[in-house]
Amino acid sequence: MRNKKLPRPRFRGSLLSRYLLIILSALLFIPVVFPASLIGYQLVQNMVLGNAFPDAGAEPEERYQTIHLENMWHKEAKRLKGSTPEEIDRRLKELSEEYSKVDMFWVDANSHVRQPAGGRLHLSETWNAADAISYMKRYREATQQFSVIAFIGDDEKLNQGFMVMQVSKAALGPRDSGLSARESMAFFGIILLMFVLFIVVSWMFFMNMRRRLLRLQSAMTVPDGSGLPDPITVRKSDEIGQLEAAFNGMVHRLDRSLKREREEEELRKRLIANLSHDLRTPLTIVRSHVYSLHKEQLSERGRELLKLAETKLGDLAGLIDNLLSYNLLTSGKYTLHPERVDVLRTVRESAAAWYPLWEKEGFEVDIDLPEGPVYWTLDAQWFRRILDNLFQNVVRHARSGQYIGVRAAMDSAGGMAIVIADKGKGMKASSGDKGAGIGLAIVGFLTREMGLDMEIRSTEEGTTILISRASGGGQGLKLK
Amino acid sequence: MDDTTGYPQGPGKGRMSNNHMSIHLLYIEDDAEIGTWVNEDLKGRGYEVTWLQNGERAVDHAGGCRLVILDVMLPGLDGFTVGQRLKKAYPDLPILMLSARTSIDDKLEGLQFADDYLTKPFHPDELAARIEVLLRRSGSYSSEPLVLKHLLVYERENRIMNKDTGEEIVLTGKQFQIFMYLLRHLGQILTKEQIYEGVWGDPYLDGDKTLMVHIRYLREKLERDPASPEIIETVRGVGYRVKA
Repeated sequence: MRNKKLPRPRFRGSLLSRYLLIILSALLFIPVVFPASLIGYQLVQNMVLGNAFPDAGAEPEERYQTIHLENMWHKEAKRLKGSTPEEIDRRLKELSEEYSKVDMFWVDANSHVRQPAGGRLHLSETWNAADAISYMKRYREATQQFSVIAFIGDDEKLNQGFMVMQVSKAALGPRDSGLSARESMAFFGIILLMFVLFIVVSWMFFMNMRRRLLRLQSAMTVPDGSGLPDPITVRKSDEIGQLEAAFNGMVHRLDRSLKREREEEELRKRLIANLSHDLRTPLTIVRSHVYSLHKEQLSERGRELLKLAETKLGDLAGLIDNLLSYNLLTSGKYTLHPERVDVLRTVRESAAAWYPLWEKEGFEVDIDLPEGPVYWTLDAQWFRRILDNLFQNVVRHARSGQYIGVRAAMDSAGGMAIVIADKGKGMKASSGDKGAGIGLAIVGFLTREMGLDMEIRSTEEGTTILISRASGGGQGLKLK
Repeated sequence: MDDTTGYPQGPGKGRMSNNHMSIHLLYIEDDAEIGTWVNEDLKGRGYEVTWLQNGERAVDHAGGCRLVILDVMLPGLDGFTVGQRLKKAYPDLPILMLSARTSIDDKLEGLQFADDYLTKPFHPDELAARIEVLLRRSGSYSSEPLVLKHLLVYERENRIMNKDTGEEIVLTGKQFQIFMYLLRHLGQILTKEQIYEGVWGDPYLDGDKTLMVHIRYLREKLERDPASPEIIETVRGVGYRVKA
């Protein structure tokens, strides 16, 4: 075998690439799809739920947005530049009224904490820098508050102190709140949907592959023993598509070689047929002259010689036939056509055709075949040929016995055997006629080819030929 | 005529009557020597023969003919093609293929349209016998009655007379069909299966006694002594035969 280089399949459109795509999307599922679904969920929430309950959302949403609050706070701090503490107190009070959800206080230059709007907050009296930092770190983070610190005048060098506002994140709107039960169900629903989608896509991928493989399999299964599978249409250029193309290529090659074989068989047959014609035509002419001679005035001796010549002409014709058949058969250029054949019926019909000749030769004909069909798988035409050759041999070479027996018997394996018996001088004795050889060679060849056993028992009292199905052969004719 | 070629003969010798003066045969053979010989032999047997050396104009000449004898290897159109054309033009015209080619395939191809097949070299008596069988089978019966022992069979009129008593023998439909089937294959041995399938048109079922029963009744009507039949002969182990 040649080590053939595998054709490199194109990656695009291959099964591999498509499967990788599915796997890749499954892998992306976790880092991309989870957040994406979250965002998607929120978009839905804002657009659908936000519109559904306008009172709960819109107005405070605008004012309490962190960016708005931060800007507002720094602007106020800048405006309060150079203001007296009283002025600052007053302004913060106004602002607290405006932003009711926001807590505000300020620390003056002397580090005194002042809460002009009164205090929800519990703060120490004085604040130094450390207090401020600790507030930022501890308080703000621990309580999920949003807070803004601004120096008065928005410049720490003025040393007027600083002002702080803080607001709980809950007040800032629903977006920062935790997930409710309904919300998480919707979220998991999306995840589940994604899972199901993944399973469906993979399932479809494999079902499609399976379907195409099954199609290929059914295309390869030839319904009959004889024909070739039909080529199939290649729809895609992926791995299975390439397999289909390779399969088509194989079918074409097989078809070509089968055609060539048939052509050779045809040629051989034609040659044999022409040869047969060329040999038989002059033989027929000789025969016609011999026949015409019968009408002439002849002596007794002349008549005898003429009869002998006629007999030899017949033998010669038979010999040509057998010789050509043998050539055709053994060249392997002839196909046998096996079918289920009732052998007993075939033997009876063949015997019926030979009967008049046996009668004329004065043979005692003893035909004893059981009733009912016995089916063997044979080429019917060639089986007739076997019988013809055997019967012919009896007429030619066992004429002295004046007997032909055709019967059925049990063979050693318990099956039925067809027995053709004569009472001639046996095959070793020279009957004066040569030529049994080629006829028997054909019989031998054909029986072997058809999975039959032939047994010849020849003594000086006669010859018995048994034909049965080969014990190992099973169903007889083997299919080539 | 003694024939010991060692080949099976289809039908036995037919009647050598010269009463087919009106029967016209078409014979297509390219070989001049064989053609001359067969032409003369058939004319000697009382047939009118048109002999063509090729098949080109076979269909034109087949008009008044009762049977065609056709060689396979012909110059130009081969015998199979000529035969198929003839069969297409005259479906009921019997065709006897005469060939020097004996390969089994040839024979099978020929028999797809031909009614019989004879290989060269053949004995002229064999040819004559086969012609007679084919003519009989295709219904070209002579007006003369067929004489079988004590029976006179008028095939044209479907009438059977008993010479001994001078009475007509009346057969039932199936009995008549069986007898006619045997007569169409005069001299040939037919197996039970062949007769059954030829008459009933169904495949023969094993163990079917119908045919035997019919033949027993047929013999009771036809035979002088039904216990030892002379008309419908039993060929032991093979089948039945009506000999001329």
